[in-house]
Amino acid sequence: MSEPIPPGTLDMLILQTLARLEELHGFEIADAIQRTSAGVLQVEEGSLYPALQRMLVKGWVSGEWGKTRDNRRARYYRLTATGRKQLVREKESYQRVTFAIAQILQLAPE
Amino acid sequence: MTTIRELLRRLRYLVRRERYLAELEEEMRLHTALRAEAMQAAGMSAEQSRLEARRRFGRATNVAEASRDMWGLGTLDQLAQDVRFAIRRLRARPGFSAPVIAVLALGIGATTAVFSAVDAAMLRSLPFPREHELVSLKNVQVPFGPESNERSEGRLLDLADVSEMTNVFSGAAAYASGGLNLSDPDRPLRVKAGVVSATFFPTLGVTPLTGRTFTLEEGRPNGPLAVILSNALWQRQYGGSPMLGKAISLHGRQYTVVGVMQRGFDFPNESDLWIPMSVPTTFATFEPFRGFLPSHVIARVRPDVSNEAAAAQLLLRWHQVVEPARSEQRDNLNEFIDEARKTGFAVPLHRELLGDRRQALLVLLGTTALLMMIACANVANLLLSDAAVRRREIAVREVLGATRPRIVRQLLAESVLLAVAGGVVGMLVAPAALRIVRAMMPAGLAGIAPAQLDLRVLTFGAALAIATSVVFGLWPAIGATRGDASQSIKSGGGHGATAGLGPVRRALVVAELGLTVMLLIAAGLMARSFERLIAENTGLNPEQVATLETSFPRSTPDVERRRIIDGVLDRLSGQPGIVAAGAVNDLPLRGGGGISVTIDVPGAPALHRGEYRMARFLFASGGYFDALGIARLRGRTFTASDATGPPVAIISSAMAAKYWPGTNPLGRYFTLRGDTSHITIIGVVADVREAGLDRDPEPQMYRPIDVGPLNAAIVVRGSLPPSALTARLTEAMRATAPGQPVYNVRTMDQVIGASVLPRRTNTMLIALFAGLALVLSTLGVYAVVAYAVAQRTRELGIRAALGATARDLLALVSREMVIVIALGIAIGLGGAWALSRVLTSLLYSVDPRDPVTFVTVPLVLMLPAVMATAIPALRAARVDPTQVMRSG
Repeated sequence: MSEPIPPGTLDMLILQTLARLEELHGFEIADAIQRTSAGVLQVEEGSLYPALQRMLVKGWVSGEWGKTRDNRRARYYRLTATGRKQLVREKESYQRVTFAIAQILQLAPE
Repeated sequence: MTTIRELLRRLRYLVRRERYLAELEEEMRLHTALRAEAMQAAGMSAEQSRLEARRRFGRATNVAEASRDMWGLGTLDQLAQDVRFAIRRLRARPGFSAPVIAVLALGIGATTAVFSAVDAAMLRSLPFPREHELVSLKNVQVPFGPESNERSEGRLLDLADVSEMTNVFSGAAAYASGGLNLSDPDRPLRVKAGVVSATFFPTLGVTPLTGRTFTLEEGRPNGPLAVILSNALWQRQYGGSPMLGKAISLHGRQYTVVGVMQRGFDFPNESDLWIPMSVPTTFATFEPFRGFLPSHVIARVRPDVSNEAAAAQLLLRWHQVVEPARSEQRDNLNEFIDEARKTGFAVPLHRELLGDRRQALLVLLGTTALLMMIACANVANLLLSDAAVRRREIAVREVLGATRPRIVRQLLAESVLLAVAGGVVGMLVAPAALRIVRAMMPAGLAGIAPAQLDLRVLTFGAALAIATSVVFGLWPAIGATRGDASQSIKSGGGHGATAGLGPVRRALVVAELGLTVMLLIAAGLMARSFERLIAENTGLNPEQVATLETSFPRSTPDVERRRIIDGVLDRLSGQPGIVAAGAVNDLPLRGGGGISVTIDVPGAPALHRGEYRMARFLFASGGYFDALGIARLRGRTFTASDATGPPVAIISSAMAAKYWPGTNPLGRYFTLRGDTSHITIIGVVADVREAGLDRDPEPQMYRPIDVGPLNAAIVVRGSLPPSALTARLTEAMRATAPGQPVYNVRTMDQVIGASVLPRRTNTMLIALFAGLALVLSTLGVYAVVAYAVAQRTRELGIRAALGATARDLLALVSREMVIVIALGIAIGLGGAWALSRVLTSLLYSVDPRDPVTFVTVPLVLMLPAVMATAIPALRAARVDPTQVMRSG
């Protein structure tokens, strides 16, 4: 069963995916996130492209036009140095929050 | 965390936006294609996978828009977009935008013009430093007579008393305004002279451009004769050449120029020059000014003293001069104190100078505000009907994914744009409107400073435009987006659209009509007042009469003055085409002062204390009454022998009725207070309204103009056209006394016209506004009905098909409007009734609740309103059912 991406984590997931796989176009990013999460996390196209545009504005990613394997034009995204720093920040804050939530859930009666 | 780089990226995007958008679109297209392929590979049919991929992408436009939004320079980018869109839309519908812009421009232009006039007169401060400290003091005199240096008991407060109150006032001064003859080698000239105490300029805090102001020595009786020139006179008469130390001849006496004032300074009363007022004043001070000089006393209140405290100190001072007085004088003085208490002891100078114009200006401003409100209501109405028409379009856009705030923003952009356009056009109209207002506004209404469009006035206009657009733009915008979009589409923009906005629009029309009724009533009352005023019996016949005025210096001997006046009259009388010629010392309705004297009538009952027998005291030649067309009721006019014989007088019929009631006054006599010679009455003439058409004539008496007067008006009646008459008049004067300056060469009709000019102006301006209001509200009615008919065409068609006659349809459409019109008229009448007090001071012999006006105005309004209803309603009645059904 697929789940929507938790709010606020889409940027981090995209950055992490690009950090791991170096260079991807939009569809590949969505596909990679879905596959890596074993089909649990499904990226909505409606939020993917605005997010990518935002990251371009912020300078976290850069986009270069290139060819796909079957020779179709696509924009390939790469992580920039700023993007890498941003990823670290987002991961740290995410881990803090997850840890905090986990603590609360442990205390709750079964 | 906006960095410079980020900003640069955004800017690059803005510049190459088309390319960026194309790239985004391509990217999304590829995504959809790849998704479809992936699903097809997983076993879906080609068609299905394509649809599914599209669905997953959601609303493509939304995604594109959201992605675009990421780049925008905040709202700025969107704003530019909205404005572009709005311009496109407004240009596509000139039938909608042009009337809105025109109505707004009219309202804003008129309001701005009147505001600038009011601003000049009321709001702008006087051109003196710290003008708020300046006050006008009531019932404070300038002492008279060189011998009255020791102060008598029971006197009034005078300038010296005020000057001594140094803990309250930092300065006190007196001024008066009059006219003098300025000798000039080429042509004699009449100039306006400010007669001012030596303390005048320091008290106002103004300094000369060159030279100095008056010294205390020059302000004493028989002091050196000094004159200060206004910049305007200096330029006009002396070409700006050095004048300090030179002598100029005023009324036959040599005055030394000691200074030239700064440009623009011409207080009081547009003075051309200033001469010192001696304190105490002497006969010499009065000389050029018709024997009296109405002086005003002003003072500068110390910064640490309030006006109230100053008034309290003045009252204290009054009591100090009252206490030692003898008891009968004390009564008099207490009367003065009571009078001063009513008017205020120390009135701010600004307010004092504004005087009765205040009320007229406020009414004018109020009238303009009403007009602006009507214009706004009209615009709101147009915007509302537009919003209703566009409901469907808006609904479509909403379904296609436009967000509500975005739609509101777009609609708002349109109305702001309309307001800006209206404001700009209005500002272009304003100078022209101001020219009209200024031309119509005589000196009597205009302010101390000239009315002009400055930054303040423009700011006012801009504020007006913006406020209008926001209020009347936002409201329909929100109204239009409210409600269920799909409903709107399904109903075909029919009934659902009108239901929400109809009552509001009808209320607006009711308001418009109500305000218009109020304006029309104001205009009607003013017009009736004016009509009554000019129909008032002046006591003279101004047709075919020309006049001119002249004045002599005291240095011109008596006999010489008489020789000149007699010479002119003789010269005129002999000419063909001249019916009568005469002279008088003070022409009626010229707006001058005039003298009243106290008389004693032998055998008349004693008067109560404080009562006097008063009469206006005039000097006239024998031909004066026929020349001006003043009816001679009894007895005879003056003859040559009256100049040398025993004293005689001609009195007015009001004087006869008041002091010799029920008897024939001919042959009876009276005396002037303080004089014993018996003045015998030889004739009775009609009453003349000399002080103003709106002032009842006072008792008047005429004495022969035998002692050459210092001031005179020559009056001539003839069968020639007016221009020929005035030419004859000036020619006769020139031939008799070439060096004698004349002024106010006018026909008597012009003299009367000038005396009623302020009232005429007010009446015409208000009538103009009422007319505009009528046009606007008629348009408003038309727009509402036309819109309703357009909305209901389908329904009307069905009704027609079901057998409704044209008459039924007409009734159906106009029924509503009849109620609206009736309601508007009722509210307007009620408002006018309630506000009638405001107008009272501007009316003349017309009740502010004059029944004729209150009945006529609704009828005046009814005709255009009914026509505005009937024209579109008749269109409804002619609806062809088959046509409507087919187009359905």
